[in-house]
Amino acid sequence: MQLVEGEKEVIIACVNEVLKEKEKTTENLIPILQNVQARLGYLPSLAMEMIAADLAVPAADVFGLATFYNQFRLSPPGKHQVKVCLGTACYMVGGKIALESFERRMEIREGETSVDRLYSLERVACVGCCTMAPVVVVDEVVEGKVTPTRVDGIMLALQENGDTKKSEMKTDLPDEGEGKNK
Amino acid sequence: MSDQITITIDGRQINVMPGLKLLWAALDNGIYIPHLCAIREEIRPNASCRLCFVEIEGSKHPVTSCTKTVEENMVVKTRSPRIDRLVKTAFELIISDHNLKCNECPANKNCVLQTIAKERGLRLKQKRFKSIVREFELDDSPEVFAFDRSRCVLCGQCIWADRVEAKVGAIGFTNRGIKRMVTTFKDLPLADSICTQCTLCVDACPVGALYYKKDRKEAGS
Amino acid sequence: MSNLTPLVSYEKLRSEAVLATNADAEKTRVLVGTATCGVAAGALQVKEDFIREIGAKGLDAEVIEVGCMGHCYAEPLAVIAKPGFPPICYGHLDNGLVHRLVEDFLAGDDPCYEYAMAALEPNDVFPTFAEFPRGVYEQKLILEQCGFIDARNIDSYLARDGYSALAQALEGEPQQVLAEIKQANLRGRGGAGFPAGLKWEACIKSGGEQIYVICNADEGDPGAFMDRSILESDPHLVLEGMILCAYAVGSGKGFLYIRAEYPRAVTHVQEAIDQARAKGLLGTKILGSDFSFDLEIFQGSGAFVCGEATALVNSMEGKMGMPESRPPRLAQKGYRGRPTVLNNVKTFAYVPLIIKNGADWFKAIGTPDSPGTAVFSLVGKVVNTGLVEVPMGTTLRQLIFDVGDGLPNGREFKAVQIGGPSGGCLPETALDVPIDFDSLQEAGAIMGSGGLVVMAQDDCMVAVARYFLEFTQHESCGKCTFCRLGTKQMLDILTDITQGKGDDQTLALLEELSEDVRDGSLCNLGRTAPNPVLTTLKYFRDEYEAHIKEGRCPALVCHDLILYYILPRKCSKLCNVCVGSCPTEAIFTREDGLKEINQEKCVKCDNCLKACPPEYTAVVKLSPPILPPEKERKN
Ligand SMILES: Cc1cc2nc3c(=O)[nH]c(=O)nc-3n(C[C@H](O)[C@H](O)[C@H](O)COP(=O)(O)O)c2cc1C
Ligand code: FES
Repeated sequence: MQLVEGEKEVIIACVNEVLKEKEKTTENLIPILQNVQARLGYLPSLAMEMIAADLAVPAADVFGLATFYNQFRLSPPGKHQVKVCLGTACYMVGGKIALESFERRMEIREGETSVDRLYSLERVACVGCCTMAPVVVVDEVVEGKVTPTRVDGIMLALQENGDTKKSEMKTDLPDEGEGKNK
Repeated sequence: MSDQITITIDGRQINVMPGLKLLWAALDNGIYIPHLCAIREEIRPNASCRLCFVEIEGSKHPVTSCTKTVEENMVVKTRSPRIDRLVKTAFELIISDHNLKCNECPANKNCVLQTIAKERGLRLKQKRFKSIVREFELDDSPEVFAFDRSRCVLCGQCIWADRVEAKVGAIGFTNRGIKRMVTTFKDLPLADSICTQCTLCVDACPVGALYYKKDRKEAGS
Repeated sequence: MSNLTPLVSYEKLRSEAVLATNADAEKTRVLVGTATCGVAAGALQVKEDFIREIGAKGLDAEVIEVGCMGHCYAEPLAVIAKPGFPPICYGHLDNGLVHRLVEDFLAGDDPCYEYAMAALEPNDVFPTFAEFPRGVYEQKLILEQCGFIDARNIDSYLARDGYSALAQALEGEPQQVLAEIKQANLRGRGGAGFPAGLKWEACIKSGGEQIYVICNADEGDPGAFMDRSILESDPHLVLEGMILCAYAVGSGKGFLYIRAEYPRAVTHVQEAIDQARAKGLLGTKILGSDFSFDLEIFQGSGAFVCGEATALVNSMEGKMGMPESRPPRLAQKGYRGRPTVLNNVKTFAYVPLIIKNGADWFKAIGTPDSPGTAVFSLVGKVVNTGLVEVPMGTTLRQLIFDVGDGLPNGREFKAVQIGGPSGGCLPETALDVPIDFDSLQEAGAIMGSGGLVVMAQDDCMVAVARYFLEFTQHESCGKCTFCRLGTKQMLDILTDITQGKGDDQTLALLEELSEDVRDGSLCNLGRTAPNPVLTTLKYFRDEYEAHIKEGRCPALVCHDLILYYILPRKCSKLCNVCVGSCPTEAIFTREDGLKEINQEKCVKCDNCLKACPPEYTAVVKLSPPILPPEKERKN
């Protein structure tokens, strides 16, 4: 993938910093990946290569881990992250309906990021507030009892502050486009 | 040898070295047990293909013979209605995710799936389950061989060859569940990866997923 | 400190803690429940409101964050402890109610009993939770302090005799701890119910210099959250249990494997570890004894299968979370190839209580073979959702109808799902089964992780089975044939059934395949994945048959087998609500003024049905999806 100018330096600096903090053992592989993702929002392939080289493990293994665990993403997330809970309680009272409503409104499928990089949509299993089912997490804020009408409300709110944010953004990050498609 | 122990498989008494896994004890003595993923040298066997089930007297449940160490006076049956049913289902599940165009496959007549089918009277045709073979792009980037993932049974033999024998680390498993596959870093074509094209993986493949390109075969023979 | 005995060192810590916490005993305290469930319901806003209102009035009251009290149905919740009054719990708080409470109760002296849920201590004026009908059945051991202590302040735990079991144990021999746990017959609460004492003993027997102690807090069941609640609300209880275990087996190092999806739990546990270390309760020479032990958090990266013991270890070693065939067991060869104790959060939480009160006390609770209590997160179609703790042996009926107060809105009970994706669905006829490890297993379900979902007549059992299978299929690690491909084929068959496809062979094939996946899979994820299917096939076969033979979903759930219809005789021409509610503009007004649904455009989102005013209830679902004859539709 093409990295935007300056992005490469950011990645290198970030990975080096994380690697400096952690002892070089394969046991630290997952914590290192978690740390890098926490800072960059995703795991660029450059980062995976650097980590693999530093810990002397095959890059294919780092790639394997990154595609095995739900937590890791290989492409940058959207500006707004919507996670729809499909835990048992939420599923039973319409979590799927909420998910479908978001898919319709965002014009993407679960697990994808919209072309304009404004939204990404994910499903999660139980965020631990079953009593408010169906639950969605919008940019870390938990919303309970979400009906399709509420979905429209949430989208409206996101669009309003999303558009302002979009114009503030200097460059849209390009799509990594390789590897996993979870 | 005196330090050998005696076990009985299908009514036949055989002497084997202690510490050996039951699967190899049987195979070494000409008793066939279906298997795809087992590797003799591996200390903790994968036990992922689930084809090598046998019944052991005293065990309530069928046991995978690749993980079971032989024990003195062990009594083993390689066939029983229960075993046959499990092996049949495992086999049919595996071929539900395997490109069954045998006549187009370079491993035709030299394929472990065909051996298993023959030994156990199973059909290389899907009846019970839907075919769920995924679409993959053929990777024919290496010079002398190619990788057709629609034939891959995920036994892991090629990865063992790459890691332990060739010591390269070009390929590995990625993803989880039904999306699990054998691939390179970032899913690059093999020729663009760190693969040295030593072809040890091709020799290890029990089916026709990793195969020599035709011209090479002709040149070689 | 080293010349003091553990008990003396402990007593010093405890009295300091009592002083520190009692310093403001004379002060009014407001405890706001801010576990994840509370926060989701707006607890942080409630906390802010309290602080602002109290500040505005210039009152001398402290607002403290506490964990989950288990009454999640009434979140946001707060307890007000004002000297001279019993501590009183209020639910469903909002801005207005907070204002009212501060003005009338904190500033004035009116406890606003009309808004109170219960008092926390017996008194003459207001009933306590224990006096509720559910209180008769509930018995809180490991949840006792959840929601009532400040989880982020170790003094709060110490002041209530926390860590006294540890101090007491350090005065004696490690074997005594082991003997007590064995004697108590504490069975693992993470699923299988294996006796913890035997597991620990097996580790000791494997021997060697290093034994590891790991707490399994991966809690992957998509409908359960009690491990999270305990870690967020009372982390020191779990730490103390782990330290006691480490003492018993002679371990120097332990880990808590916590899901990354539980950030609050991670924060609270990390703070707890730091505070415990600072007080000499963790680290070298604990409480001045010769025993050293330290703890670290390992964050899971979101894979259900990592809850499985061998997969968890692989994941901690930096590999994919793939289960291994056993033996060897973890007790022989676990983390870093060393003997390893792996127990669930709840299992560890019982340990300090057993050491403090004795094995006989524990065995007096519950049933002879399953002593102690069972903790469930009660969700689904039930009035009192939340965390409950009842003695083992309580029946499902008591749990659902007495503790949970039955189903809401007069719904009729259909089934209860226990044990999450590995568990089973039990029907009405199984409601008198006592809750214990063995009885549940006999009935076809398992205690499992403790998720308990109540289902009503409007829940489709085929869809439920499909839901769980979709989950396990998605979470299968993909290593072994049966789990990777078998669950996928099962899911495809179930999907077909929810679409009305299939023939008289379909159910037989599904059953056969389920049994083979159960018998042939490598680990317990695959081995238990068929349980929801097998139990629904056993108890609700007629529902499967209705889907296949009649193309009908009796519960009116399966999308492909229903359609939405507006009853002309019930529709009011004057009302437009449904038209506005439709996200796809599928509803239009006919020439005669009645509303009709364009079936081509309808996405079956249920909005119109919910929107149609109760005086009309004109929107209905029909299954099989066949429109009534034209004539009827005309009027
Ligand atoms: C797929 C799978 C997921 C599991 N998830 C958990 C879990 O989230 N928490 C847990 O404590 N045990 C889980 N277990 C059970 C553990 O393997 C193990 O039995 C348990 O942690 C042992 O602790 P206990 O004896 O205290 O119950 C899971 C098992 C399987 C097969
Ligand atoms: S050879 Fe035993 S499971 Fe594959």
